[in-house]
Amino acid sequence: MHEEKCSHIWEMVDVIPCFIITEKCYHCGKIATYFSTEHTPPIEEYREGVHLWNFMGSAQSIKFNLKCTKCDKLEKFDELLGVMMCTGCDEKCEVNVLLKKLEPKRTWIYVAFGYLPIDEKKQLSPKQISILEDYFNQRRKSSKSTIKIVSHKLVNNIANCYAEIIKDVDMLCLTLPEK
Amino acid sequence: MQLIEIIEKLNLKTLTNVEERNVEGVFISDMLSDVMTNAKSGNLWLTIQTHKNTVSAANLVNLAAIVITHEKEVPQETIDLANRFYVIILGSDLSTYELVSKLVGIGLTP
Repeated sequence: MHEEKCSHIWEMVDVIPCFIITEKCYHCGKIATYFSTEHTPPIEEYREGVHLWNFMGSAQSIKFNLKCTKCDKLEKFDELLGVMMCTGCDEKCEVNVLLKKLEPKRTWIYVAFGYLPIDEKKQLSPKQISILEDYFNQRRKSSKSTIKIVSHKLVNNIANCYAEIIKDVDMLCLTLPEK
Repeated sequence: MQLIEIIEKLNLKTLTNVEERNVEGVFISDMLSDVMTNAKSGNLWLTIQTHKNTVSAANLVNLAAIVITHEKEVPQETIDLANRFYVIILGSDLSTYELVSKLVGIGLTP
């Protein structure tokens, strides 16, 4: 079947367990995130251009791509760090405004995050976000509720956001659980 | 099998609001990334994880309910979030292994 004519049915493929590493540059204060597929996440500080990156923490997660079961089209998600459910923590946040609008219809808002720093890393395209939304809605098999996935660019202030990316903190990561 | 029937037969505690749902199979894991990857819509999710992010993961893939085993206490913020997003959380005094045995016993098979 031609890709253009196909009404895609997506499945998750190329699933790789990995660590989300968060680090901070002590020179400019920027936060960076990336995936590590090593068995033990790296913790050494290193220099990259103007940055001197220092390890802040790690959490276990997955990388994946989506493939259409009908036409075999592969959509890569190299730019996706993870998704987070909006819990409506900030009245001024556009994501919260959208949640309030759609909540009566039981449409829940998830935010797709790319890597940090946002201005230095390639980010997810609207098309990728739309495909991700289609995939999870197809998988939900429910007529009673749906999800909508939006870009992290809509978040008013990521640093103050109360919600968390879906990941496994304190499972196999190198940071100790908070007492 | 219907969720209310499972709750009654296995004497599960209702920690959140409950509504009738069709349960299709069981998923066992303590990792949210595993839920994102492998859980199926309508599954009953057995776990010992009580963090509020379990609500996000369960809602994303439309699980029938979360069952917290081993009599683990669930934080109020997790329960409040679950109620807002219609995610059902149940509790059991049994270990995950014992609960699975009983689920198979009442006819809930993979």
